[in-house]
Amino acid sequence: MKIVKIREDNCIFCHLCEVACIVEHSQSKDIIKAFKREEKPIARCSVEFNYPVSLSVMCRHCDDAPCVEACQNGSMHRDDRGYVVVDADTCVGCWMCIMACPYGVIKRDTRRESWGLSTKCDFCPDREIPACVEACPNEALTLEEI
Amino acid sequence: MKIVIVGNSVAAINAIEAIREKDKISSVAVVSDENYRAYSHPLLPNLVIGEVSRSEDRFYYRRSDFYQKNKVNAILGKRVVKINPKSKTIELDNTEKVEYDKLLLACGGKPAKPPIDGLELEGVHTLTNIKGADKLRKDLKNINHCVVVGAGLIGSKVAEKLAKKKVKVTLVELARRVLFPVLDDKGADFIHKELKRLGVNLILNDSVKALDGSNRVEQVVLNSGKRIKADGVVVAVGVSPNIDLAKDAGLKVDKGVVVNDYMQTSDESIYAAGDVAQAYDVVYGSKRPIPILPLAARQGRTSALNMLGMDVKYKGGFPMNSITIGKTSFISMGIVDSDELEILSFERDGEYRKFLIDEDNRLKGMILVNNVEKAGMFNWMIQNKFDVSWIKDAFLNSDFGWKYFNKAFRVLRLDRKIK
Amino acid sequence: MKWMKNLKSYVPPSFVVERDDYRCIRCKACVEQCSFDATFYDDEEDRVWTWNANCVGCNRCAAICPTDAITVKRAEPSYRYNHNWNGHVDSLKKRAIYGGTPVVSMGNDKPYPIYWDNMLLNASQVTNPSIDPLREPMELKTFLGRKPDSIHVDDSGLKTRLTPQLELDIPIMFAAMSYGALSYNVIESLGRAAKEMGTYYNSGEGGLNKDHYKFKGNIIVQVASGRFGVHKDYLDVGSAIEIKIGQGAKPGIGGHLPGEKVSETISETRMMPKGSDAISPAPHHDVYSIEDLRQLIYALKESTEYKKPVAVKIACVHNVAAIASGIARAGADIIVLDGFKGGTGASPQVIRDNIGLPLEVSLAVVDERLRQEGIRQYVSLVASGGIRNSMDVVKAIALGADAVYIGTAALIAIGCTMCQQCHTGKCAWGISTQDPHLSKRVNPDMASKRLINLLEVWALEIKETMGAMGINSIESLKGNRLNLRGVGLNDKELEILGILPAGE
Repeated sequence: MKIVKIREDNCIFCHLCEVACIVEHSQSKDIIKAFKREEKPIARCSVEFNYPVSLSVMCRHCDDAPCVEACQNGSMHRDDRGYVVVDADTCVGCWMCIMACPYGVIKRDTRRESWGLSTKCDFCPDREIPACVEACPNEALTLEEI
Repeated sequence: MKIVIVGNSVAAINAIEAIREKDKISSVAVVSDENYRAYSHPLLPNLVIGEVSRSEDRFYYRRSDFYQKNKVNAILGKRVVKINPKSKTIELDNTEKVEYDKLLLACGGKPAKPPIDGLELEGVHTLTNIKGADKLRKDLKNINHCVVVGAGLIGSKVAEKLAKKKVKVTLVELARRVLFPVLDDKGADFIHKELKRLGVNLILNDSVKALDGSNRVEQVVLNSGKRIKADGVVVAVGVSPNIDLAKDAGLKVDKGVVVNDYMQTSDESIYAAGDVAQAYDVVYGSKRPIPILPLAARQGRTSALNMLGMDVKYKGGFPMNSITIGKTSFISMGIVDSDELEILSFERDGEYRKFLIDEDNRLKGMILVNNVEKAGMFNWMIQNKFDVSWIKDAFLNSDFGWKYFNKAFRVLRLDRKIK
Repeated sequence: MKWMKNLKSYVPPSFVVERDDYRCIRCKACVEQCSFDATFYDDEEDRVWTWNANCVGCNRCAAICPTDAITVKRAEPSYRYNHNWNGHVDSLKKRAIYGGTPVVSMGNDKPYPIYWDNMLLNASQVTNPSIDPLREPMELKTFLGRKPDSIHVDDSGLKTRLTPQLELDIPIMFAAMSYGALSYNVIESLGRAAKEMGTYYNSGEGGLNKDHYKFKGNIIVQVASGRFGVHKDYLDVGSAIEIKIGQGAKPGIGGHLPGEKVSETISETRMMPKGSDAISPAPHHDVYSIEDLRQLIYALKESTEYKKPVAVKIACVHNVAAIASGIARAGADIIVLDGFKGGTGASPQVIRDNIGLPLEVSLAVVDERLRQEGIRQYVSLVASGGIRNSMDVVKAIALGADAVYIGTAALIAIGCTMCQQCHTGKCAWGISTQDPHLSKRVNPDMASKRLINLLEVWALEIKETMGAMGINSIESLKGNRLNLRGVGLNDKELEILGILPAGE
């Protein structure tokens, strides 16, 4: 299975992976509309910085994903491609997946009125190459077989 | 091979999934006294006030085609009355007998019965299954003032939910704080404040002695002598492992059903998993029942693989909880309060972080309030007995993350070279 | 406000950053990328601001902006026009305000004539056939080093003992740019590209990081007046040794690497204390004459058992032809001529902008002088300083060069926008910096690929042009000035360049 390999030696802390992720997961998929017209989705990767270290971290799509194990109603599941994704329709925002995730890469989206929503990398189901990989200007994120 | 699973919740479902990943041929039967497909227990308080309904997918643990897709014979609405380890059969309450080659006990817990008079009165509820939740939901129209007994996970949650429904709620807790085993005083204060903000009347350091009323409950009498007018009571003082079946069958039991590292009971054809089992706690270094959902899932999987003859050791677990009350979320794990461990803590701007570290520099427990997103990283450290001496200085940073780790380690982990 | 303008130190900004507020999505990529503190984000206002005075025009922000919201524009101060003083007012003011002479980087940017652009190449028509490089073999292989006066061959083969030669698959090498001036990743990229293309990169005077010994076989090591990082292993790793006497961007003065750039690894490589300034004296203190130079050349040859050619690099100055003749007679195998447009990591502005000679002229006169003296075969000539494209390479070779060095062109290939801030160590493109965070901006995988692309494309362009001229080996182009014609040049210039005017 291919996952996004994080090459921190090349990360230049530009945040464009986050920007691309937000655009990809927006309604319009248009960068300006996504940021200016829509309620901005949460980026599923996050760029960390601690001089001189910088790196973007996102879901590693574990083989024995602890988040799937911890999910109380099967919302966190493995899709047909084998990637771990959240079913937004059923997620109740109990944050059990966050508690379980050994990489700390699941984020809380608390903007829905009724239920919270666990937000994580879904490996861009509509794309061949994930948006963050394509957007990275310095090849700090690459698509690789692991 | 004939595999029979007693119980139909988290451990059972995960066992089925694990079996079907490896074995498409063996017959699998699930027996449960509840006549519903596996559902989400933590959502019962939401079910009570109608935030979620039984027609919604989100209430259930798996989708409706689960049993069919996994070719499982689901014997629902039947109670197991007896296990005969010698003849390898179980008896159901309709006298039917079911044969097994391997049996998995995943029958969970049963509500603890507190020493309170008047529990039989109308308007007194428990909340451990759908039946209880349904009963409470139907009774809700008759309840204006509800006393919730026990401020554990279910108690606190149901108090919050009822308060949201404009019911006058009094929450009575024996200990000096809510959520006693999973929070410390400082952390619990966040929840106290939140419950009060939501209008819950909080009574700590006191317990319920008796429930008064002629037919329906009218008054709650506390040990301190205080009397509270109430037309509804929810008893939520916890659950204990449901070990009766195992005990009767002559299996070794302690607080829960005793299992070895492979989730096998004292009978080699019988396994146990979930809230009923007494499995290894990596924090305490001993075996004890830990009734939490992720471990039930993990044990379900492990026991299933071992039933299929694979040699998979249960890696152990420890208590961990994630709870949101109102706008306050917290995640805690392992030991949350101790005089012997090194404690690092930090409180500012509505955020609370606390870490407990032993003399060997192993993380033994932690609490995160409101800034919880990196909690799982600490989970990993506790589970793997990670030496935190070189990273613990960064624990109290609100922006704790991968950036604080040693580069070589970080790269190996993120490349999934170290699990 | 994070800043406030102050009349005391006011010099009008050289650039204005325009931001289309509608297109700006506040992603702050530009804020993080600006290493000169010209861009910042204001939380309260939710706006990205620019302090134009700090902008150096490197265009990193414009390049990174995902919505193309940024345009960096050159700002001309609107003083009353004065042809005589134009461009000098602010330059003078800076000296008056700060009491120091400005240090600048890159090459001479003043509008001196560019002779390359006044020379045209020939092509075959009817009377001699042109060659299609896609069908016919085309030779770019070049050997640098002393050639024998004559060779003796008998039945057993070549009888003459040849002096050591540098073998180049393409007559383009990467000029001396030190580790210290450039980041680790850039050196890594240059090394990888040189190896892949069968050419050489020059270590510059900063010594050689142990990691880069892997490029052995593709390195020319430099010995300069500071002698930084020179030791036995260093000389052994080099395929040739270059003695640097002068540099086109700052003839007659030494080098100065500020202490801030002398990091742990730099100090190790240069064999000097961390954090102390690395000062290369203006002259070699053991070279005051051609005879002294001869001693140094032979000292180096001796210590490397006469297995490596020794090059001498000089800046093009007024008597360049006579100096070159002396160097050839001193025993050098290669002479590197560095024109006044050559780049630098730091040079006083007055020196860079006013000293030296154009490379084209120097090359022509040196080649001519060595021929007249009958010693052209003693040395190979490498042209360096301001080679911008493949046609400059062709013209340089036609004027008499054996090969060329490219420095600035290589840096541009990996991102450089020539903002001339190398001396600050804050290069926003991660090239001329030792900041471990900034230097990540050059990814050696990508940068080496780009360098390889550049050399491959140039090689193809050179072959195409040679084919058009009916030449199938770069040897036949060397000093072949008949293939050049001058346009817009006066008689004297044509005479010095040794070329005919267009039409003659």
